[in-house]
Amino acid sequence: MLCDNCKKNPATFFYKDVSGEQIKEVHLCEECARKKGIISDKKLSPHEILQKLLKSVEKEDGQIVCPICLLTLSEFKKFGRFGCANCLKVFEPYIKTLIREVQNSEKHIGKKAKPGGRRIVEIFRLKEELRRALEKEAYEDAAKIRDQLKTMGVENV
Amino acid sequence: MFENIKWLISPELSRECEEKEIVVSTRIRVARNIEGIPFELKMKTKDAEKLVQMVKSALEMNFKGKFLDLQKLKPLEKESLLESHLISPAIVKKELPTATFISEEGNISIMVNEEDHLRIQGLSCGLNLSNIASKVYEFEEILGQELGYAYNENYGFITSCPTNLGTGLRASVLLHLPGLVYTNEIEKILKSTFNLGMAVRGLYGEGSEIKGNLFQISNQHTLGFKEDELIEKITKFTKMLIDLELKARDVILNRARYELEDKIFRSLGILTSARLINSDEVLSLLSAIRLGIGLGLIKDIDIITLNEIMLVTRPGNIQLYYGEILEEQERDIRRADYIRHKLAKRNPASD
Ligand SMILES: [Zn+2]
Ligand SMILES: [Zn+2]
Repeated sequence: MLCDNCKKNPATFFYKDVSGEQIKEVHLCEECARKKGIISDKKLSPHEILQKLLKSVEKEDGQIVCPICLLTLSEFKKFGRFGCANCLKVFEPYIKTLIREVQNSEKHIGKKAKPGGRRIVEIFRLKEELRRALEKEAYEDAAKIRDQLKTMGVENV
Repeated sequence: MFENIKWLISPELSRECEEKEIVVSTRIRVARNIEGIPFELKMKTKDAEKLVQMVKSALEMNFKGKFLDLQKLKPLEKESLLESHLISPAIVKKELPTATFISEEGNISIMVNEEDHLRIQGLSCGLNLSNIASKVYEFEEILGQELGYAYNENYGFITSCPTNLGTGLRASVLLHLPGLVYTNEIEKILKSTFNLGMAVRGLYGEGSEIKGNLFQISNQHTLGFKEDELIEKITKFTKMLIDLELKARDVILNRARYELEDKIFRSLGILTSARLINSDEVLSLLSAIRLGIGLGLIKDIDIITLNEIMLVTRPGNIQLYYGEILEEQERDIRRADYIRHKLAKRNPASD
């Protein structure tokens, strides 16, 4: 059987194309399969691509710092991990290409974060305030915080 | 002895479901982080403790289930959770406080302080991605309201590693494809998965070898698509693989029916008579039985029983099942015992 693409070389590579509505059997020669990017010598996973891209360290990377968690861009490139939610904003101008290469995309189009009351975060904040009030023996304040906590559904504090 | 864990068999995995012979299980996991708390790389013990407490409260106020402090579990209990896919190898290795929540139905597990603050996972038998995804997102939404997720307009949910940005979603199916293995077609097919944005792994995730003709297919990217689109894509691809697997089986039946039947019934013979058996041999024998059921050659064993045997005979789970620490040979004896008894309970053989 000859290659569907060049119709010259014998087809040695068969695969089912499921990108369209119908499943098509495709027959290609090694060369055309490679040209079409269907097979490549190095198939890198997103993790491997990330590791490769992180190696390009610039001198000034040590000076670019996330003010919240103090992670530098060079540390990000060393570990391949963000230190906090704010890092992305700080490093964004320098890692746009990296994200595009790793993810094959540069824009989130999925579900969005829904704004919520963050009730638990508030409860933990109030509990901490209560602890401090009790430490200072500010019992009136403590009672107020307890009432607040009660309205949020927290008993026995 | 192991009072903490009694979930060996998730009820979800013993339910009736579609395509359960070829699709052993379906999994969804969503990675989320909480705004205002440092990520793994910069996290201190104090932050980790606080996060565990906050997630615990958020779950207790909204859901029924079991919240387990992983530091308090025995090594064997952790191994069993690992074998049951309820926790990951990465979380077991961590030194900071970690926890896991297991829903009342046993199909949702939430890891706290893995690589991300939250890894919300759903597990189901058969091809069931959209169902299990909607359960996962029930938990995801409530926890988001209570805790507030780290989010960026452009890049979606912010994760510790850039490879999880966006949806933070990994959907996977564990497929049993003996026909494609025996006909040597599997290599060709797996080559094409890569270009469709999917990865193939063994039973226990990245780097694990292929055992028992089981292949795990999952998406490679997490950014730039809608959740339902991805689920649809994997479902479609799985259905195509099922179709190819069934065709491969027809080919084998036409060309080598007796060899195949022989392999299947010899496997059954070993499983019902062995006195010593290791867990990898069990996986490969179970694959033959599974195929036998799929082809209608074995009618008195059901897939649910096989799933149960597959899970209980793992090295950690078998010890938990008998409630004691067992040396390797002792495990092989008990495993063989367990399987013989399990298969002896079946209905009289069909022919
Ligand atoms: Zn060609
Ligand atoms: Zn930061």
